[in-house]
Amino acid sequence: MSKPATTHGEGLHVDPPLITGNLSFRDITNMVSLHTEKKTPLAWYAAFGFASSIAGLLLIMIAYLVWNGTGVWGLNNPVGWGWAIVNFVFWVGIGHAGTLISAILFLFRQKWRTSINRAAEAMTLFAVICALVFPGIHVGRIWAAYWMLPIPNQMDMWPQFKSPLLWDVFAVSSYFMVSLVFWYVGLIPDLATLRDRTRKVWRHKVLSFFSMGWTGANRHWRNYEKTYLILAALATPLVLSVHSVVSFDFAVSVVPGWHTTIFPPYFVAGAIFSGFAMVVTLMVISRKVYGIENLITITHLEKMNIIILVTGTMVGFAYITEFFIAWYSGVPYEFYAFLNRATGPYAWAYWTMMSCNLLFPQFFWIKKLRRSIPFMFVTSIIVNIGMWFERFVITVISLHRDYMPSAWDYYSPTFVDVFTFVGTFGLFLTLFLLFLRWVPMVAIAEVKGVMPEADPHHYDEHHGDGHAGHAAPQVTPGGH
Amino acid sequence: MIELPVIDAASPAVGDPKQHFWRSLQDLRQDPHFKRLGHEEFMPGASDAPGGSSRRHFLQLMGASMALAGLTGCRRPVELTLPYSRKPEEIIPGIPLFYATAMPFRGVLSGLLVQSFEGRPTKVEGNPDHPVSQGASGLFEQASVLNLYDPDRSKHVLHDGNEASWGDFVAFCQGFLAQAATRKVAVLCEQTSSPTLNALRGRLAQVYPQLRWVTYAAEGDDPSRMGMQEAFGMALRPSYRFESAEVIVSLDADFLSPVDRNFVANTRGYAASRRMTSPQDDISRLYVVESTYTVTGGTADNRLRLRSSQIPAFAAALAVRLGVEGVQGVGAEFIDHPYVQAMERDLLRAGSNGVVLAGETQPASVHALCMAINKRLSSIGNTVFLYETNEEVKPAQAEQLQQLVFDMSNGSVDALLMIGVNPVYDMPGEIDFAGALQRVPTTIHLGTHQDETAAASGWHIPLTHYLEAWGDGRAYDGTLSVIQPLIAPLHDGKSEIELLHTFATGLDVSGYDLVREQWRTVLQGDFEMAWKKVIHDGFLPNSGFAAVDPALRPVSGASPYTIGGDEIEVVFRLDNKVLAGSFSNNAWCQELPDPATKVVWDNVALMSPATADRLGLEVPYDKGMHYADVVEIAAAGGAVQLPIWILPGHADNSVTVTLGYGRQIVSHRPERITNFFDTDDKTDIYGKGAVATGVGVNVTSLRTPGAMRIATGATVRKVSSGYLVATTQDHGYMEGRPFYRMATVDTYREDPGFAADAIKTLPGGEPWTDYPALWQERHPTTEPALKDNPYHAYQWGMVIDLNTCTGCNACVVACQSENNIQVVGKDQVSRGRELSWLRMDRYFVSEAGQEANPKMVMQPVMCMHCENAPCESVCPVAATVHSPDGTNQMIYNRCIGTRYCANNCPYKVRRFNFYNWSKTLPLEVHMVQNPNVTVRSRGVMEKCSFCIQRVRQANIRTSLENRAIQDGEVKTACQQACPAGAIVFGNINDPNSHVSKARQDNRRYEMLAELSTKPRTSYLGRVMNPNPELEAATA
Repeated sequence: MSKPATTHGEGLHVDPPLITGNLSFRDITNMVSLHTEKKTPLAWYAAFGFASSIAGLLLIMIAYLVWNGTGVWGLNNPVGWGWAIVNFVFWVGIGHAGTLISAILFLFRQKWRTSINRAAEAMTLFAVICALVFPGIHVGRIWAAYWMLPIPNQMDMWPQFKSPLLWDVFAVSSYFMVSLVFWYVGLIPDLATLRDRTRKVWRHKVLSFFSMGWTGANRHWRNYEKTYLILAALATPLVLSVHSVVSFDFAVSVVPGWHTTIFPPYFVAGAIFSGFAMVVTLMVISRKVYGIENLITITHLEKMNIIILVTGTMVGFAYITEFFIAWYSGVPYEFYAFLNRATGPYAWAYWTMMSCNLLFPQFFWIKKLRRSIPFMFVTSIIVNIGMWFERFVITVISLHRDYMPSAWDYYSPTFVDVFTFVGTFGLFLTLFLLFLRWVPMVAIAEVKGVMPEADPHHYDEHHGDGHAGHAAPQVTPGGH
Repeated sequence: MIELPVIDAASPAVGDPKQHFWRSLQDLRQDPHFKRLGHEEFMPGASDAPGGSSRRHFLQLMGASMALAGLTGCRRPVELTLPYSRKPEEIIPGIPLFYATAMPFRGVLSGLLVQSFEGRPTKVEGNPDHPVSQGASGLFEQASVLNLYDPDRSKHVLHDGNEASWGDFVAFCQGFLAQAATRKVAVLCEQTSSPTLNALRGRLAQVYPQLRWVTYAAEGDDPSRMGMQEAFGMALRPSYRFESAEVIVSLDADFLSPVDRNFVANTRGYAASRRMTSPQDDISRLYVVESTYTVTGGTADNRLRLRSSQIPAFAAALAVRLGVEGVQGVGAEFIDHPYVQAMERDLLRAGSNGVVLAGETQPASVHALCMAINKRLSSIGNTVFLYETNEEVKPAQAEQLQQLVFDMSNGSVDALLMIGVNPVYDMPGEIDFAGALQRVPTTIHLGTHQDETAAASGWHIPLTHYLEAWGDGRAYDGTLSVIQPLIAPLHDGKSEIELLHTFATGLDVSGYDLVREQWRTVLQGDFEMAWKKVIHDGFLPNSGFAAVDPALRPVSGASPYTIGGDEIEVVFRLDNKVLAGSFSNNAWCQELPDPATKVVWDNVALMSPATADRLGLEVPYDKGMHYADVVEIAAAGGAVQLPIWILPGHADNSVTVTLGYGRQIVSHRPERITNFFDTDDKTDIYGKGAVATGVGVNVTSLRTPGAMRIATGATVRKVSSGYLVATTQDHGYMEGRPFYRMATVDTYREDPGFAADAIKTLPGGEPWTDYPALWQERHPTTEPALKDNPYHAYQWGMVIDLNTCTGCNACVVACQSENNIQVVGKDQVSRGRELSWLRMDRYFVSEAGQEANPKMVMQPVMCMHCENAPCESVCPVAATVHSPDGTNQMIYNRCIGTRYCANNCPYKVRRFNFYNWSKTLPLEVHMVQNPNVTVRSRGVMEKCSFCIQRVRQANIRTSLENRAIQDGEVKTACQQACPAGAIVFGNINDPNSHVSKARQDNRRYEMLAELSTKPRTSYLGRVMNPNPELEAATA
């Protein structure tokens, strides 16, 4: 940490300003709103066309799957879950960063979150949408997938509440709903800003509807802040629960390599790890393309990289721990499962995972590298490749050789598996591009709230000029 | 029923064919209108029955099937539909009826009891009363019902390739008969035991004085029969009583394979000699000397792998050691062979309880030698019975065939009848049968398919399936049976006897009349009563052959083979699944994993790892697929190219190939063509013509008439690589995991709990049983919903005795037949998507340094019906649940196909329907399906249900009769088929049931019991009885 610009008094610790470029409130409003108001650039259309055609590929692959059956995937009898479940866990994991940034960091008063939380939350929603594609289509009888929901019916037939898949349904759907509401509530002041700026009738009507009559009144703000706090408090356990529950899909089973108590924290750490990597990937591009480097500064990115480093190390620690426990347990099946990961026919996947997740983030110990845009961009992609492989390693390698050697087999994906996964990226990008085009990509009101101008208190009363330009409002517990 | 003299008005009367009887001028003129009137009692159309069969014929069939049942099924004649407004006697829709019949199999009959739903045969079981089958059956019996519904069966009479009618053929025969005395007629026919057919043969010989009758078998002579002729000078049939054997020496004899003609009795006897109820029980010892790994070799206590062509020398050495005189061709290297010494000591110790037998690959001389040894041991009359079959002394097939083909090429054969044989396909390479056939003016082929021979013949007549036509014959022990049809011929088929009779007389007489006519000479007393009893029982009691003990002729045992060094032999065996081709168009058989290799949908050249190494051949395993090298094998007869397979335990320098592949069956079904987005064309195994067409390679051209079983001096050369071979088991080793538990007799006596002890404690030494199961409290089965259910009184369980199980695959096919398990084809099997509920796990077990010579063990694995089933707790929609009677059931309607249950099944017995397999099935194949079992659609999980449909039927039956289900009243399909009686199923709540007793056995263990799944299926550990001296000598 660099020395604070001005410090008065012991223990007062001041961070560098979160927003650089000496921007005014108006600058920020303009900077962010502009992208939803200006004429749609040709590049956006190009990008959107590309992304949506890939999303179309997803639709084609799903249609092909529904028409013919699950056999068009590479699954077989020992390996009942393949890329579909891997992708599901991968996308749910990606989705973690958004809620973590918006909810947990909010509760922890991490003000730097304000620049990235909107995009990160949007990413959460879109990632969860991509994830939710899979539980629906991976079942054999897609037209009956809704039986997993507790819908009252003439048979008095409920879902089976002991099944982790059912917990998944609840965990992921409530996560999605809370994330959506949280995101939307956060959007209301900004939507009102856009509404107030527009002259177009229809745009005004639509924005009026979604901004729910926001006027920026004191009472509005009071209610808004309360709601936001409550939603943050609601979302926080969900961040931990959703991936814990996803991990139960594996941990509750008897399959060696799945039946592991370490899974919930390990999955959550992995999810945050991959989610932050995804945010970095997206933000590095967006801040450049949309010229908001002053809002999403290198310091923001560095903070995210630190989180990547921490969670990556946690994940790596979990890898080593479960290997140790597999040996220490003395259970031959368990030990074989892990030995098979490292030395079996899928060793390439295991070592891809290990190097991507354990090795590469370690470079972030070096400050220069964690502030290097090209390096962090490459690393964030590597981390997500590694995290995809982590799910592949857990799902497929454990299944392909479990208890009975007579049933062992090998799993190879088909083109349908591959294009379905590629297609979800198309869906994700399509949704993200729509978000960038129509919704303020940075939380305007919140960013303003962390600017010095927003906090006109006289921390340094003796020399104060009524503005906090010389002293940050941040007070550490050891202060005053 | 009233017996009417059978005479067809349109045909000349029986008797002297030169004398023509006529009734009117129109008759004399052969006026077509009159002929038509003559056929029909009533005016045209009034009594037409389908398929050209007469009203009388139809009524006879009906009457004879005792209760119109056989004909009221889905093939009801259109004009004579019997509406169910008045229920036919005995028929209750949905309740199957069982009829006794018999299946011809390699010249003998298997006594069967066949299930029929409203006239549609669906399932074959052994006839429980029949002295040979005793309720058990083999895989071929089980699979035979699918042959009935084979969609590629020949459907029409063909004349010169054009569709013709049976009437045309009858007319042709009538014309042909005109110069019967001068016609040089030859008949090529399978070995048959049918009295009616043999009588017709006599009749044919009367009509055609120059008749030549050649008995033909694709695999070659029956060396056992030839050996008996050599040893005793007459046609005797040896039958082994393994139940009283102490020491069994098998010289390449795969007597426990379903290919063996006496498979059921052999397996039952052998199992009896291996059954143990306490450690003190003595069990037999089985020595096997063989070249490839067979089912019998897998059950052996001591197994020696040896080239088949060296076994005669081995046998001679053993005979000399045992004091048989005049033996030649003793292999010097074998006279002091530890195995020969051990066998000698053991056999002498066992005396008359010892038995030596030779296999089909061995020449007649070895069979004769074995009989000399048995005679020496005084086993004949104790462990070996010689049946007096009263058959003619048969000359070697090769001489007859060569003469026949020579005469055919010379044009000195006027007509050739090929009855149920396919010589164009399976004649050895040296004989140009197809060429010779072209020189015969009249060629008549009676066959089930439009196969290779049909294409080359002038006339082709569709052959009926045994469930469609009347017939008769003898079981292996000579017991006479009548083959009773259960359904009218599905196509325009004729049976062997009908064809021969028509050919002999020009009269179209039904098989029913022919068989009855013949049986009038067989049955004593009131014919109708006796006939009805035979039909009802399925056999004529006490009609078996008499056992004799004739004097032995001097036998030399001279080996026809000289083989040495690393000369390569090729051994031709009947395929374990398709025989010589008669089951190759049967999808169940094609997809049945070979017992040793687990290969499906292909025939491969088997060789040992060392031989493959020497020849530079390999079968690389890549991404779950085996890509075999393809070799060209050249032998005296010719050369073929086929993929190899490396089989541990195979003899070095020996190559095993199987017959019955590379078929060319004509299919008239259109090829399935689908839209580009539809995969049905890729998944429909019936969509590309006949099932057998294009599967495997025909190896028959490697053979010569003199070397039908073994070709020595073969060369093997690699021609390409990368041929995909599909197997159902990729991994053959147990990885040290105690799934299959076995011990020697001595170990068992020292540690009777060896099986359970294999997993006693958790790591760290705590007994795992100390940890209660998760749902011990409020276990689902103690919940009122289940407890108060009437089914709760029965708690079903199963015990599989690995001591008696041989791995013959009968249970696998029985399960497939009973439970409507679909066939997925080679591509899908190679992707690991086979659907069989019951799989036969095969593991190789070797001690350090013995990798070239491993033991092969078989373990049937199906759903264990865990009390704490891991599958149940993970299903999100409760589609797999526990039944009140303690079984784990799939509710197909409820299943949405998450496949989570399959992932969580530690036994990996759950099977997922990746495609809609029944959607593309031809209509005929649908008819084989059991109406009591749901046909699963796409996207649902399936697995063994403990044959819940049978349990529920018993529940309903007994509740109507107000009684409890008795022990043994419900049998699962696998249990019912098992000739070894290795599978016991029953109520574990009843302390006196067989299954409860078996569960008390100290050899009992549960697979993966340490997971606390509490499986309802448990195993009894295998006890081996190897010769300790031999173990010491070879160690």
